[in-house]
Amino acid sequence: MFRFLSNIWNNYKEYFILVFLLILGLILLSSNQKSGIKKVRAIAFGTFASATSLITDVFSVAELKSDNTRLREKNAELMLQMNKLREFGIENEELKGLLKLKDTVKYPLIPAKIVSKSFSTSQNTITILGGNSDGIKPGMPVINDQGLLGIIYSTSDDFSIARTLRNRDLKLTVKDERSRIDGIMKWNGEDLVMVDVPKTFDIKPGDRILTSELSSLISVPIPIGMVMELSKMDIGIFNEVRVKPFVNFSKAENVYVIGIVESKQKNQLELNFFNRK
Amino acid sequence: MRPYILPVIYFFLVLLLQTTVVNLISISNIVPDLILILLVFYTIRNNQIYGMILGFIFGFLFDIITGSLLGSSIISKTISGFTAGYFSNENKRETYLNSYAFPLIVLLCGIIDSFVYSFFSSSNLDSNFILHMVQQGIFPGIYTAAISVIVLFFMPKRSIR
Repeated sequence: MFRFLSNIWNNYKEYFILVFLLILGLILLSSNQKSGIKKVRAIAFGTFASATSLITDVFSVAELKSDNTRLREKNAELMLQMNKLREFGIENEELKGLLKLKDTVKYPLIPAKIVSKSFSTSQNTITILGGNSDGIKPGMPVINDQGLLGIIYSTSDDFSIARTLRNRDLKLTVKDERSRIDGIMKWNGEDLVMVDVPKTFDIKPGDRILTSELSSLISVPIPIGMVMELSKMDIGIFNEVRVKPFVNFSKAENVYVIGIVESKQKNQLELNFFNRK
Repeated sequence: MRPYILPVIYFFLVLLLQTTVVNLISISNIVPDLILILLVFYTIRNNQIYGMILGFIFGFLFDIITGSLLGSSIISKTISGFTAGYFSNENKRETYLNSYAFPLIVLLCGIIDSFVYSFFSSSNLDSNFILHMVQQGIFPGIYTAAISVIVLFFMPKRSIR
């Protein structure tokens, strides 16, 4: 019997080991949300990110000159826009005063720098220099001057990992800026798409897409991208809207984390409402 | 445990490049997988079981450090190590490592790795299966194989053991 088992092991040990390792992998796959795993992950990427930040610094110095030129141009453009907005602001204040509306909330911005990027067709993530010690928490949106990059997923003391828009696990409620139509946007591995949009909805190529107030993740209106095309499905009543993101993910270096965790604020509000009953 | 220490040290160096420099040469969000090249190299140099265990270790470290879905790289890299292990024949080892057979092995493993990885890390597979296979498997595999041709030039010619 022992000889028989020994023979089987000798002939098929590669397969047994493969199956064992795959089962171990599947077990780990199902334990992603366990707190122990999250702690190990925070320590691991925090340590590794310290090393990547050194390399990123070297590249940043090399690109400073071109960045400077680009930023000067951007500065001039923004100055012109700001003048315009200042006028609108004054007008807005007057109108709000007339209507007795309260001003909108100001959101704290936490500056951070991208130290590493993990690109794959389905699981894009970025690691940023800034973590718990800077007040960054999971769920906070990450933006730059062009728009939304993603959402903080995990944090350590000094570093954080954010899921970018090009991550299949990130789904957002968005709206069309012009027609105010809401929809769900996700990354399909190739494009950002708004899915299951009824054909009768008024969405046109060139429309700007923002995060929606309905979103439980980000309810601040942040620009995401522009509608490229509507894939006309022959069958069914829904369209798929392809959106081109404003943010260039491969070139993004400096980002800001908006210091709000929307769902927690909403939860608190709902809890207060519940307590009053 | 000792035979795994050096590859793991190399893994960290390669991961540094993968997460900082390699992104600069991405084409339509497709990047070459340097870690896979390292895995295939060490698997051919040793044996199939070694390749599977090394693939498991590489996948685990990659998932933990980059914030990917834990388990997706573990499974894809373990299967890649298993596949590359079929080419770790003692008599042909040197031929595989020092000829253009190496990029072809990387291509095969790259296609399998990318496809398995996307299969486990994607939440929906509602798109066309063949299209999915081409986009998520073959393109990254080809790009990785192309980069492995460059690696081939820097590979030691006689010190394979």
